[in-house]
Amino acid sequence: MTTAIAVEHLVKRYGVHAAVNDVSFEVQRGEVVGFLGPNGAGKSTTLRILVGFLGPTSGSARIEGHDVQADPHAAKAALGYMPEAVPLYGEMRVAEYLRFRAELKGVGRAARTAAIGRALELARVVDVKDTLIDHLSKGYRQRVGLADALVSNPRVLVLDEPTAGMDPNQIRDVRDLIKSLGGEQTVLLSTHILPEVEASCGRVVVIDKGRLVAEGTPSELGALRRPPRLELVLRGAPARGIIAASPFELVSDHDEGDARRFVLGTPKKDEDAAIEALVSELVGAGVGVRSVERGKASLEEVFASLTHAHEPEPAAEPEGGEAA
Amino acid sequence: MRGFWPIFKRELFAFFVTPLAYVLILAFVFWQGLHFYLLVRSFAQATEASIDQGPVQAFFGGDVFYYLPLILICPAITMRLFAEERRAGTIETLLTTPVGTAGVVLAKFCAAMVAYIAMWAPTVLYIVVMRKAGDLDYRVVATSYLGVFGIGAQYIAIGTMMSAVARSQLVALILSTVLILGFFLLGLGEFVLDEGATRELCAYVSVWSQMGELSKGIVDLRRITLDATLVALPLYTTTRLVDAWRWG
Ligand SMILES: Nc1ncnc2c1ncn2[C@@H]1O[C@H](COP(=O)(O)OP(=O)(O)OP(=O)(O)O)[C@@H](O)[C@H]1O
Ligand SMILES: [Mg+2]
Repeated sequence: MTTAIAVEHLVKRYGVHAAVNDVSFEVQRGEVVGFLGPNGAGKSTTLRILVGFLGPTSGSARIEGHDVQADPHAAKAALGYMPEAVPLYGEMRVAEYLRFRAELKGVGRAARTAAIGRALELARVVDVKDTLIDHLSKGYRQRVGLADALVSNPRVLVLDEPTAGMDPNQIRDVRDLIKSLGGEQTVLLSTHILPEVEASCGRVVVIDKGRLVAEGTPSELGALRRPPRLELVLRGAPARGIIAASPFELVSDHDEGDARRFVLGTPKKDEDAAIEALVSELVGAGVGVRSVERGKASLEEVFASLTHAHEPEPAAEPEGGEAA
Repeated sequence: MRGFWPIFKRELFAFFVTPLAYVLILAFVFWQGLHFYLLVRSFAQATEASIDQGPVQAFFGGDVFYYLPLILICPAITMRLFAEERRAGTIETLLTTPVGTAGVVLAKFCAAMVAYIAMWAPTVLYIVVMRKAGDLDYRVVATSYLGVFGIGAQYIAIGTMMSAVARSQLVALILSTVLILGFFLLGLGEFVLDEGATRELCAYVSVWSQMGELSKGIVDLRRITLDATLVALPLYTTTRLVDAWRWG
């Protein structure tokens, strides 16, 4: 068994409103998966069902093969969870809190001190270990929440917006940490920040309005919507004619100093060969080639198009050959 | 029962770390001291001590001085238990660890009981004083404290339940005070109602007459059974409430 997290046809309704509507996905052991969606998409609701805090209206979720409904103890024992709001007991000191949490999660007395030391170290909260939690800044609270999720060295980590409220340095630390956990541990983290996904996740699951809208690696998703672009900065009159005769489609062009920037849509086949041919032809005709850039559609664009424009075309599954 | 110990320890810590705990303890000690002083004074002035109303009887349940703090202090001890975890959101981290609902509820209840017992502890001093003043029946003292324990357990169980019903500590405090007071007044029906089934019922649940019996050294098994039921029922309801939150 290599599936760490399995979510099947999950539905959660509040009254008539479905916060989560038939969501299914799997996370394999050792994967770091981003759970992406705009505000109110149903990310937190899905994760809360996954960790056994909420019951689903229908559908099921399994952690390391244990059904969260039927066998909550085993499922929760395999889990480290960091909720979105990072609730903590303000009257406790950081190390005290982690000791309490380690005991709750069944870390044996002999292993506890080492486990706490490791969690403090990984989440970089060693310097505040004797500070009252009430006196911590938002970013530090966030890191204590992370230390809590890590303290039992769980096989599966579920993190709800782990970097919210952190400064850029802290965010980088946390992303590096998450990346380093992959392989050994399975990580599912929710976010609505794209660079986060690109920086630390091997795979992305996108939901919007309670529905799964796409799934794949960050680069697969990038390829999903927009055909790749080729941008050239050229100087010389023959450029336009050569481009028109090439298999590239001219998307736009504008002046850039004494040269001109051309944005081209690349052909579907033999893209590499076509680019080589085009450039050598341009050079041969005496056109000054200043820059050749192959652009990828940014994940931002993909995200925006997936989550806002998917109503007219409801079956926006990645397998559906959207790139066509 | 997994999770009982860590939660029990944390609850005790959380209670004794708040200023509220010391306000309650001080108020309680002051109240009991006043009660004791008034009793001693009235016994000193009495020319002829009645046989069945010794100072121990008077102190434990002889007048409203005994019941008032019970009705007010138990809800103040328990109001935090679940309401605060829900307000702060820590209930989410608590219930996503491998603990059982029964373990959580019992741990919180037991911690509140320990706090309650700690409040009564200083009254042992009065017993010592009374012993100096004359003969003391230790059986009566023991059964009196049994009453203190039993009635407290009921009120704490009710308070635990109400803390799981309400989302705010204040509402939990008000709800449990009202419920406990209502229950107490129901028992007083014994003294005002005419003969009949209702009066029988009131007498059965009356903590006043229960305390009266216990402070004379009488232990009635039916009352103990009732006590146990009135502790178990709210606690069971609490576990069901906590389980039901997942479907909210
Ligand atoms: N207890 C509740 N009662 C009613 N509706 C709820 C409840 N909890 C969540 N919802 C609704 O469910 C939807 C999904 O909420 P959820 O918190 O899962 O979104 P999210 O993707 O985590 O958003 P964010 O990025 O803002 O954290 C929202 O429309 C929200 O209003
Ligand atoms: Mg959320």
